[in-house]
Amino acid sequence: MLKIIIPTIMLMPLTWLSKKNMIWINTTTYSLLISLISLSLLNQPSNNSLNFSLMFFSDPLSAPLLVLTTWLLPLMLMASQHHLSKEPLIRKKLYITMLTMLQTFLIMTFTATELISFYILFEATLVPTLIIITRWGNQTERLNAGLYFLFYTLMGSLPLLVALISIQNLTGSLNFLLIQYWNQALPDSWSNIFLWLACMMAFMVKMPLYGLHLWLPKAHVEAPIAGSMVMAAILLKLGGYGMLRITTMLNPQTSFMAYPFLMLSLWGMIMTSSICLRQTDLKSLIAYSSVSHMALVIVAVLIQTPWSYMGATALMIAHGLTSSMLFCLANSNYERTHSRTMILARGLQTLLPLMAAWWLLASLTNLALPPSINLIGELFVVMSSFSWSNITIILMGANITITALYSLYMLITTQRGKYTHHINSIKPSFTRENALMALHMTPLLLLSLNPKIILGFTY
Amino acid sequence: MFSSLMLVSLLVLTLPIMSSIFNTHKNSTFPHHVKNTISYAFITSLIPTMMFIHSGQETIISNWHWMTMQTLKLSLSFKLDYFSMIFVPVALFVTWSIMEFSLWYMHSDPYITRFFKYLLTFLITMMILVTANNLFQLFIGWEGVGIMSFLLIGWWYGRTDANTAALQAILYNRIGDIGFIMAMAWFLFNTNTWDLQQIFMLDPNLTNLPLLGLLLAATGKSAQFGLHPWLPSAMEGPTPVSALLHSSTMVVAGVFLLIRFHPLMENNKTIQSLTLCLGAITTLFTAICALTQNDIKKIIAFSTSSQLGLMIVTIGINQPYLAFLHICTHAFFKAMLFMCSGSIIHSLNDEQDIRKMGGLFNAMPFTTTSLIIGSLALTGMPFLTGFYSKDLIIETANTSYTNAWALLMTLIATSLTAVYSTRIIFFALLGQPRFLPLTLINENNPFLINSIKRLLIGSIFAGFFISNNIYPTTVPEMTMPTYMKLTALAVTILGFTLALELSLMTHNLKLEHSTSVFKFSNLLGYYPTIMHRLPPLANLSMSQKSASLLLDSIWLENILPKSISQFQMKTSILISTQKGQIKLYFLSFLITLTLSMLLFNLHE
Repeated sequence: MLKIIIPTIMLMPLTWLSKKNMIWINTTTYSLLISLISLSLLNQPSNNSLNFSLMFFSDPLSAPLLVLTTWLLPLMLMASQHHLSKEPLIRKKLYITMLTMLQTFLIMTFTATELISFYILFEATLVPTLIIITRWGNQTERLNAGLYFLFYTLMGSLPLLVALISIQNLTGSLNFLLIQYWNQALPDSWSNIFLWLACMMAFMVKMPLYGLHLWLPKAHVEAPIAGSMVMAAILLKLGGYGMLRITTMLNPQTSFMAYPFLMLSLWGMIMTSSICLRQTDLKSLIAYSSVSHMALVIVAVLIQTPWSYMGATALMIAHGLTSSMLFCLANSNYERTHSRTMILARGLQTLLPLMAAWWLLASLTNLALPPSINLIGELFVVMSSFSWSNITIILMGANITITALYSLYMLITTQRGKYTHHINSIKPSFTRENALMALHMTPLLLLSLNPKIILGFTY
Repeated sequence: MFSSLMLVSLLVLTLPIMSSIFNTHKNSTFPHHVKNTISYAFITSLIPTMMFIHSGQETIISNWHWMTMQTLKLSLSFKLDYFSMIFVPVALFVTWSIMEFSLWYMHSDPYITRFFKYLLTFLITMMILVTANNLFQLFIGWEGVGIMSFLLIGWWYGRTDANTAALQAILYNRIGDIGFIMAMAWFLFNTNTWDLQQIFMLDPNLTNLPLLGLLLAATGKSAQFGLHPWLPSAMEGPTPVSALLHSSTMVVAGVFLLIRFHPLMENNKTIQSLTLCLGAITTLFTAICALTQNDIKKIIAFSTSSQLGLMIVTIGINQPYLAFLHICTHAFFKAMLFMCSGSIIHSLNDEQDIRKMGGLFNAMPFTTTSLIIGSLALTGMPFLTGFYSKDLIIETANTSYTNAWALLMTLIATSLTAVYSTRIIFFALLGQPRFLPLTLINENNPFLINSIKRLLIGSIFAGFFISNNIYPTTVPEMTMPTYMKLTALAVTILGFTLALELSLMTHNLKLEHSTSVFKFSNLLGYYPTIMHRLPPLANLSMSQKSASLLLDSIWLENILPKSISQFQMKTSILISTQKGQIKLYFLSFLITLTLSMLLFNLHE
């Protein structure tokens, strides 16, 4: 694992030592190389995990998320070039350093073998994200958004620390690799119910669960493009990853503790996607759509069947790429019209036809068109929830319909119709932007050829 | 040899799309290239079809393993049985003609290349749909045709109406998809497979739920009553799109799905009678709607919907082979009717209102001929294509002892078919011209003439050929009293005469007060007025007021973040409101000091 972590850390000196005109190209190329190295992890030859050291390991669950993380750094760098072009050199370097730092923490979080180190790294990712949001966000509301982001996550995860310490006391180890075998049923008591809550809440806030999701639209909307991308694509998945990992230790409790959260997720999924129907703000729409998709992941994880785990993992990867791409597209609109309001950027298909193609593809993957991996994920989640309870198909079906509606509503509003006069003189789309979209789309398409590698450990 | 030839004809279709990846230059011959490719694919597909019919095979399934998940094996599996073997050439033939027609119809469109690519992609997804042997693959085709219909209906993306219609189509289709997904989940859960032959072999009990799901899916895709309004709205798309998607191929996908699942349906009486009633309601309701429309494409669209209802009725009386026969014959004449209307619309400078046409039999003799033959075939005139399927369906329905009301409704709808066909002929073709005198009418374009001619021949002969090569597993009744044999013909002739008389009589009369029946028919049974206003309004205001404002912006904000910050604010204000009396504050330390002294002393 060090062969990924050390190069990622070395990105920082590279940034600071690069010449003025080379910082973007150097860092992008280098990070792309790192992501290519990490691809080898997708080959998981045995059922067991690839154990690299006592500190780091990777298994079929963490490997796709890890690859997604490394894949996203070059994309974030490419996406941020334009809005940083007016900033002084030192701030650009600082920005790249922050992204690199975040990347390092994320890689280590996904590969940590130990729950406490996982916890520490999980919290550590907050720092660079907070700096990115509050320093490079566009409006003054970014400070408020940063507050929400920090405090929701912290309040959620502090009980986890207490819970982890108590588990450490009980079992003597918090090692993921050991826990699978150590795994004993928790006795049925009030304190164990609170233990369950403490363990799950941290991740549910991160996912986010409906009701605790307020930080997400704010943070996503206010963050600069790279922040939105990394949050939608990876930080939310930290929650899913954590839940998938920690549910193995919470065994008999999950079966009855899950009910209120399942209900809340199913309800919230409908609520958030209907909020999407009324959004005027493009980034906020995408953010709410993330909440709605993540609710599916929560449902899947809580149902706890092999199929639902497969669905959850596939959906996390698929949504990571799709939502990140949608944020990039929203940003390309923003850089041209200087507004996130959808109604101000209508009819762009006439002016930017290639960009319209990307919009179309992104919307179609967002509404889970077969045979994209989004469909694989959603289908598996629907299947497992159907077998859990037949009635859920009504809610799931309603959500599928609303998802299709708001995805296409977004597509039609931004791309179709007549264009407004003030966007007559916008810049054409850059090769950089098209390459950015292509780099999002290619993995989505290629993965749909062979979804096996992102189906997680229950495959 | 056999299956490989079939696969070749399917693979040929992907070539133009592949070539567009490598060839980045604008190629003006691309549309011709696509058209030729489809004609080659058609000719190639004829060989295996003939071999199939000749050798009397049952099914050929080719499997290509994709992945195995837990206990489920997913494979890329093609099922070449009677239905797909016949449907593929028919669809290719119709598409070939429509492609040629669009060369004429869309020739001034700057994006004609993209239009052909869309049509071709649609065709490929349709082929995936009909040849699929497992539900997942079927779903790929199913959603694929849905999305392609979205793109094609919204082809003129500058128009609001086109976009609305496209969104409407997706919405109604998605409601149907819920049923499809539920059926998939049920089959996975109960039979642990998505392969059709395995599902039929296991023959699960209590199939009400999945079959209801499939029926819902068919309702959405085939525009049955309840989810029907998208089909007439879809006429906002270009006419070739209406001809290809909304008459001959995409909309029959729902019927096709039910035909595929007939081994399960034939044992389930509940679902069958539901299907029968649904079909009957659709066929009558849409026929009534078609009566008073003035837009020529809308009339034909409603007629398509009505015919789809007839197909569903046929499935309801347990005759899937007849329904399939009707799909095939219907494809020919309905596509041709759309192309004729396209020819008229284009010649009259995009005039779609039949009241502003008239006398076209002089100006457009060829189109007139085709339109009349198409209408006659549609109404089931003996020995034209429609006769072979429609007459058989009505006869079988008459002799069956199921729901008499449904059958009566079907008969009335059959009669109404003749009425609205007469109306088109009467208003558009006969009488005096009512269009602007300066319109330049010219139908002498080889693309137009050839394409319509090909389908014209199809509309006359195809029914004979296909019905000769069908082997119904459930044999329809062959003997019946004369009056029953003649019912279909009689109601049609009745419809024709009545409509002609009424049209002649009322031609010069002015409609002073529209009757409530007229309003019902003209406003499409008030269905769009009610369903497209109230539920969306309720839904959207719910999401605005309740979900977004009340819950997200007020309650959830207040419960956690705002109340906490409020509390902190209050306490800090309370604490920091002090008078600066340092002496007193320091004196207060004395209290703690003495207290602690006392406590420590007590401990000892």
